[in-house]
Amino acid sequence: MLGFILRRLLIIIPMALLVVSVTWILIRMAPGSFYSEERTLPPAVEANIKAKYGLDKPLYQQYFIMLGNIVRGDFGDSLRYQEQSVNEIIARHLPYSATIGALAYLFALIIGLGAGIIAALRQNSAFDYGSMTGAMLGLSVPNFVLGPVLVIVFSLWLFWLPPARWGGIANLILPVITLAAIYTAYIARLTRAGMLEVMRSDYIRTARAKGLDEKTVLFKHGLRGGIVPVVSFTGPALASLLAGTVVVEKVFAIPGLGNIFIQSVLNRDEPLTLGIVAFLSIIIMVANLLVDISYGFLDPRIRYE
Amino acid sequence: MIRSFSRPISIFLITGLLLSALSCGGGSNEEYFGKSDPPTDNILRYVSGSEPESLDPAVPTGQPEARLLMAIHEGLVEYHPKTMKPIPAIAESWEISPDVSEYIFHLRKNARFSNGDPIKAQDFVYSFQRALAPDFLAKNAYLSYYIKYAEAYNSNHAFVKRNDGSFVLKRDLEDTGQASEVGTALFGPETEFGRSLSIPERLTVPGDEKSRNAAFEKNPKLKAIAANAEFVPVAASDIGVEAIDDYTLRIKLRQSAPFFIDMLSHQFFKVVHRGAIEKHGKQWVRPENIVTSGAFRLKEHHPYDRIVVEKDPMYWDADSVRLAGIEFYPLEEATTMMNLYKAGSIYAVYNAVPPAAWIDTLRQYRHEYMDHPAITIQYYTFNVTRPPMDNVKVRKAFALAVDREAIAAFRKTSKATFDFTPIGIFPEYEEIRDRVYTRELAKQGRNLAQWKAKMYDPEEARKLLGEAGFPVQRSGNSWTSPNFPTAEVEVLYNTSESNKAVAEFLQAQWRQNLGITVSLKNMEWKTFLNVRKELDYRGMGRAGWVGDYADPFTFLKLFYTQHNDSSTGWYDPKFDKLVNAANSELDAMKRLELLAEAEFFVMDQQPVNPFMTDSTNWMKKAFVKGMYPNPQTMHPWKFVYIEQDPANWDRNAENLMRDRDESVESHIDRLMATQTARAATIAEQAAAETRSPN
Repeated sequence: MLGFILRRLLIIIPMALLVVSVTWILIRMAPGSFYSEERTLPPAVEANIKAKYGLDKPLYQQYFIMLGNIVRGDFGDSLRYQEQSVNEIIARHLPYSATIGALAYLFALIIGLGAGIIAALRQNSAFDYGSMTGAMLGLSVPNFVLGPVLVIVFSLWLFWLPPARWGGIANLILPVITLAAIYTAYIARLTRAGMLEVMRSDYIRTARAKGLDEKTVLFKHGLRGGIVPVVSFTGPALASLLAGTVVVEKVFAIPGLGNIFIQSVLNRDEPLTLGIVAFLSIIIMVANLLVDISYGFLDPRIRYE
Repeated sequence: MIRSFSRPISIFLITGLLLSALSCGGGSNEEYFGKSDPPTDNILRYVSGSEPESLDPAVPTGQPEARLLMAIHEGLVEYHPKTMKPIPAIAESWEISPDVSEYIFHLRKNARFSNGDPIKAQDFVYSFQRALAPDFLAKNAYLSYYIKYAEAYNSNHAFVKRNDGSFVLKRDLEDTGQASEVGTALFGPETEFGRSLSIPERLTVPGDEKSRNAAFEKNPKLKAIAANAEFVPVAASDIGVEAIDDYTLRIKLRQSAPFFIDMLSHQFFKVVHRGAIEKHGKQWVRPENIVTSGAFRLKEHHPYDRIVVEKDPMYWDADSVRLAGIEFYPLEEATTMMNLYKAGSIYAVYNAVPPAAWIDTLRQYRHEYMDHPAITIQYYTFNVTRPPMDNVKVRKAFALAVDREAIAAFRKTSKATFDFTPIGIFPEYEEIRDRVYTRELAKQGRNLAQWKAKMYDPEEARKLLGEAGFPVQRSGNSWTSPNFPTAEVEVLYNTSESNKAVAEFLQAQWRQNLGITVSLKNMEWKTFLNVRKELDYRGMGRAGWVGDYADPFTFLKLFYTQHNDSSTGWYDPKFDKLVNAANSELDAMKRLELLAEAEFFVMDQQPVNPFMTDSTNWMKKAFVKGMYPNPQTMHPWKFVYIEQDPANWDRNAENLMRDRDESVESHIDRLMATQTARAATIAEQAAAETRSPN
């Protein structure tokens, strides 16, 4: 197991560098640069900018300089926001995304697991059909539709909740629900399916035959196996919650990392884009590693090699 | 000025369209759009556009920053909240030399930075020199190139010094030997530096050897003159900005520039605090370090979330500042902004925010919706370097075949136009232009009515296309032009729903009137800019321009000099000559006449196809007063205030520019008094001199 973790950790660094390299090539392939604007810059000013940022050097040199800096963990300063370092920007905006992401996932886990378990235990009941219909809706209504609908109802008709922006707890309700909808639905369906399968398996029958009470059967034996699919979903879910909250951040004007990421690409802010890409790729790989490790604790049948 | 085009992901727009009817509808019988409760804390909440690139006034180029920075930084002059013309700020008055190449500013003695330090003429000298330093990399530096040696310093140029210690002058190089002698007389007080600025302009050459030699290869005469000479780099102290004493500032230009005073309200020319910058370097703009000069000081800055400013008690005019503070929200999603507006969380949005689908509804809220002329123009460029658009007849045909009134009606916030300077912004100029056009057209045997018919003339368009070698034939109910190289013409635009809608509209017009179906091609903003600038497009490119200052030259400048910003590849020295003549003309009316001639000349060549000028399209709550729909949507914040009493709220935005708000107007009159007095003294002196000639 330790060998497995070490092997995986060692892969993370080269993988991140590969991702950064590919991103760098894509940025450089896109026409335009951070200083290109509607008005032509005087040639002397443009030459000075190029010299300052080393853009007049051969491409391969620029590439190795960039790679060297990243290996040393120095992402440099943003090109657009010149007085701010990339590290500072990531550190400042990550908490916004992490807050709504974590709250959304928590919401999704509580509601999703609860609904899934009850639906599985009362298969074919009204609750089962109702919650699964709700889940189907949650899966099919995209968040860029759900968000504005919630805003219209709760902010513009009822004037109960603020329609956008960061602020107090009231500001969090709509974005968290919008973001959580699809995960809640997915988790509810996964839990229901997992529980249905597990509760019919031989070891549950054995447990019941041993005379264990239904609570222990359900929570000690059933749930552990039943939520394995949910856990494996957590890896990609956390990743998309971190990087994929762009839509919700836009709709609700939340200054999160996803929003900054998109803007950095549009601004051709190369150091910022590369920094966020490197950071997110490492986070995603670590999250996946943690998920893989946790399988072993949940399901004794899974072994690492 | 660069427009902040919204670049939303298309899904938002789809959603926007789907839901706009829902969220903007309802309540049209109500007087106000959504909540209209004035805040009790006397703080204005405003959306300023995208996150500012920097709070350093010399760095950013966009309008979002311009709106925000005018709250915390101040310059010599300030925009008049209605006309955008300069009114006194840190300079309480100014004098202009008869040839409009030298400005003397008299600074008020009670102006202070936010830390209490007095603002002196030397601070302006420092601010200008800093912003122009080559390694400062200011993208706006070109704005100050009218100042003597500003361009040379900013571009690392060097003077050419002969062995005898004298400098080579610019006129030594010019063939005619009679270069313009503008600015050779000293207008303001005598000083040594002033005299040195008043000699004819020195020649400058590139400072680095490689570019210098390249320049010499191109120009043998320059090479001969510079042989054996010494190259002295142009220094910051050579720039034509001088502190004559603590409170008198001289700005010496290299040419006559009547519009220069209009430009001085721009953020690039605001004063900055030397001590703060030298102590903190680039970090000086952080709230804990920044020292400002405006009516408000920076309190908090949370990037992408909010910028909070509060009234600065150190400000020299603090007694007249009515707001306790302003919260700027850097947002870009139009629908989000309008939601915040309707919910009453913000009290005004910037120009061009309301989506097209909302406008019919919003217009009904006539106390809040701002529909006034804006200093912008929408047009398509022609790539004149590639066939078939290298043929002026083809260009004209494409221009004439567009039903401009129909597009304007379709766009809802625009007026049809065939000219390059917007409608309703420069009434004096428009009047003179009609006269000039009548005269110029008479020379070609045409009249003004025929010219104005160019708004839409498909018959003439087909004729011109035929003359260009691409006859248009009737086939059934429609037209075809079989010879036309359709594959060589496309419309390039930057990705946005509204650009797409306009492109499709024009595409339909050309298909219907010329039988030509051009293809449409969209690109992401920065990619698009690059392709258009490099003339890597075939046929036509979408373009829009927002004027930098209240003078027609801010538009005509696009075609000025060989490397101009028109993105068409068009250049004609004759146009430059007309513009030069205009800008060195001292009689303001004659100058406009020459500018009109220049506009006629370029529009007759049709390197661009202008089709509409925008109207302002924004909203503010009726309780926000002193905020006007001026052509640039720039709001000098010290005039803005919040009115608690509904009886005094703004009624009917249509009359806002005409109605007199006594509290604002008397404030402006008070500010103008120092300059009016100065002008009166000068006039008196001039009169006295003519009465008693020596």
